[in-house]
Amino acid sequence: MGLAQQAIYFLFHPNQLRAIIQWKVWHEPVHKRDPSKETPTEKACFHYLNLTSRSFAAVIQELNPELLMPICLFYLVLRGLDTIEDDMTIDIKEKEPLLRGFHELMEKDGWTFNGNGPNEKDRDLLVHFDVVITELKKVKKPYYEIIKDITVKMGNGMADYALNAEHNANGVNTIADYELYCHYVAGLVGEGLTRLFVASDLANPKLLDRMELTESMGQFLQKTNIIRDVHEDWLDGRRFWPKEIWSLYFDKWDDLFAPENRERALQCSSHMVLNALKHVEECIFYMAGVRDQSVFNFVAIPQAMAIATLELVFRNPAIFERNIKITKGDACQLMTESTQNLRVLCDVFRRYARRIHKKNDPRDPNYLAISAQCGKIEQFIESIFPTQDPQKIAAGRRHPGEQPGMDTMDAVVLVVSCVAVMLLLGATMIGLAWLMGANMDKMVTGLGALGGNIKPPGSIADVPGRDEL
Amino acid sequence: MGSEAKPALGSVLVIGGCGFLGHHVVRLLLRDYTCSVSVVDLRCTRNRRPDSDGVAYFEADITDADRLEAIFSQVKPDVVIHTASPPAQGNDKVSHALFKRVNVDGTAAVIRACQATGVKGLVYTSSASVVSDNVSDLINADERWPTVRGKDQTEYYSETKAAAEELVLAANRAPDAPKLLTCAIRPSGIMGEGDTMVLYHLINVYRQGRDNVQVGSNDNLFDFTYVENVAHGHLLAARALLLTAAAATLPLDHERVDGEAFFITNDSPVYFWDFARAVWAAAGSPRGTDHVRVLPRGLGMVLGFLSECFFWAIGKPPTFNRQRIIYSCMTRYYDISKAKKRLGYKPLVPLDEGVRRAVRWTLEQEKANNDSKAQ
Repeated sequence: MGLAQQAIYFLFHPNQLRAIIQWKVWHEPVHKRDPSKETPTEKACFHYLNLTSRSFAAVIQELNPELLMPICLFYLVLRGLDTIEDDMTIDIKEKEPLLRGFHELMEKDGWTFNGNGPNEKDRDLLVHFDVVITELKKVKKPYYEIIKDITVKMGNGMADYALNAEHNANGVNTIADYELYCHYVAGLVGEGLTRLFVASDLANPKLLDRMELTESMGQFLQKTNIIRDVHEDWLDGRRFWPKEIWSLYFDKWDDLFAPENRERALQCSSHMVLNALKHVEECIFYMAGVRDQSVFNFVAIPQAMAIATLELVFRNPAIFERNIKITKGDACQLMTESTQNLRVLCDVFRRYARRIHKKNDPRDPNYLAISAQCGKIEQFIESIFPTQDPQKIAAGRRHPGEQPGMDTMDAVVLVVSCVAVMLLLGATMIGLAWLMGANMDKMVTGLGALGGNIKPPGSIADVPGRDEL
Repeated sequence: MGSEAKPALGSVLVIGGCGFLGHHVVRLLLRDYTCSVSVVDLRCTRNRRPDSDGVAYFEADITDADRLEAIFSQVKPDVVIHTASPPAQGNDKVSHALFKRVNVDGTAAVIRACQATGVKGLVYTSSASVVSDNVSDLINADERWPTVRGKDQTEYYSETKAAAEELVLAANRAPDAPKLLTCAIRPSGIMGEGDTMVLYHLINVYRQGRDNVQVGSNDNLFDFTYVENVAHGHLLAARALLLTAAAATLPLDHERVDGEAFFITNDSPVYFWDFARAVWAAAGSPRGTDHVRVLPRGLGMVLGFLSECFFWAIGKPPTFNRQRIIYSCMTRYYDISKAKKRLGYKPLVPLDEGVRRAVRWTLEQEKANNDSKAQ
């Protein structure tokens, strides 16, 4: 998008511009890495992190120093595995032992791999993988064991899928298959992260007893991406939507994309959204168990992006035509809001649950179930941060407030002067607050609506993609 | 439950067993439990089980204490499920007197009959409205919320339900009859087959083409409950009371069922107008939400007031009033953790399936009525 076009867009969507500025200006990382104290191999690792990750790079580099390097390396190891798995130019006979034995390769000093095809975008990482290996040797034993354990599981899972002809030819069949697939690509990563958070005492150890919460974190992100990327995957000849769901609406997968079937396709997609929404309560519960601010930011940003993306794709026919993304302004606002505390984050979830419910269509067979699921999310948030206090309600009934009387004339004068002063003060303060970056989205949305059809500029901060892990 | 052994409830007496909720209680007793079932109702012609089910029916007015005690002596119930209550309609002296007579005096008579004949458990159908003042929101309310009584309670029906609930709970292990254990079930927004209130009114709104107006922002959550789930909650409570009665020791406070009230819902609050639209869609509405105009609550209140003035002037009860605006904009949903923990309650039928069944039944009734009129 040209500069002029962007300028016009922001002219009509000032709150988008404001959110971007607010994030860039006011965001203060909890921790910042200090490159002056880093070894050359450490620097090289961050170089490859920035090269291979669009969205995780920033949040990883703001992590608590205790976990900064372990999680950076964890990411690079999984990215390395992924680069081997994704590369269709590597023969399966060569690929399988690489995947299954990756945890051993990553212990061999100086091991590198240049068997990737020339077009593999992340081949550089494996060509220079020795820097990762050097740094892995320095990781504290407990952290290293976790990284290794997940690498074993992930490598074997990837090898199994690569060998699974049925999966590769026909895609995912049952909902159980679908969730198992999401487990391998996202749930396992989550498991590793939770164990790292707990091992470093940055999260509540109880999270280890409730691993289904961790699983939901991964499932929610992954399912959202799978719904969003349906068109792109279809073009690539891949299908991740489970047949168990889409066969309720269509006999043939390709029919989902036929323009004349839009309404039915939307119903199918809302079934998928409903299936993803069931994880939200457990995600919020999980994040309540995080103790460290930088870890909270690390886990909350992708979750906030996911609920916003789910709202964007919900009953949106564009998902069957092209790849859609939340706007950069929205992404910045979400990042601002998900780097505060659980309460602010819950407000985000409630806001998007309500938006989803507003887009819901009574003709959709999933209508009431979706409404109920949005209600469930609101109820869950209410159970963490209750609005009402039964004791206060009881006390209020026992001692009803008695107002002293007042002359009518006095009252009128008082009210009029109060209103005048408040209007003046209010206008001044709102103006000042807005300038300084306060939240007044609702007031501005009205103005923004005037802008109508101007398309937002492409988003930079995306939801972490499955293409990344 | 099916293949598992059905739990035993001994001799069960359902008061109001031909009513909307009561006949579902009877149906579930026959389906899910091993027990002998008797029913007391004012009229035992409607919602009657076929004779092959072996249900004993007794016609009686529950305010007739002597008749009630005679039936109890004959049936010798182990547990009594008291669902009888007049429809919560009407705001005049006559209906108020009826509410008081059936809900309060009738319940008092039921309690005395239980105490006199050695009944072990009494489950009383209260109402979730006992904690509502009919104006304020109830946001995720649970059993810690105080009941609204006296002049704070603007609905006399709720006042009588709360008064009866108080009597029932006070009768738990009462000094003069310590063997009787009691509890109260507070359902919210019951609907289902046999319901002539909630769905009937909603479908009427659709038939009259008034589904194009939405009062308020529709962010208010409301608990509607499918009747079978409410019946299920009652029977779980009955079973818990019998188990407590058979136990040698007193239950711990956090496990107690006797002497306690329990909210029962579908455990899925939905946005008020979403529920209405789901009903309309199930009733055949082909419309989405594009035709809907939003009437702000404030404006609705003004119109409601004008309507009240108009009907007052022509001397008729208003068909549209401020209270209806308030109800459709109120948040009113409950946290049922207590029922889940202590009763092991979980809704048997999800809300959307409940709506489908209830609407199907209402439309069938409508059709049957029209057919009989046509003949």
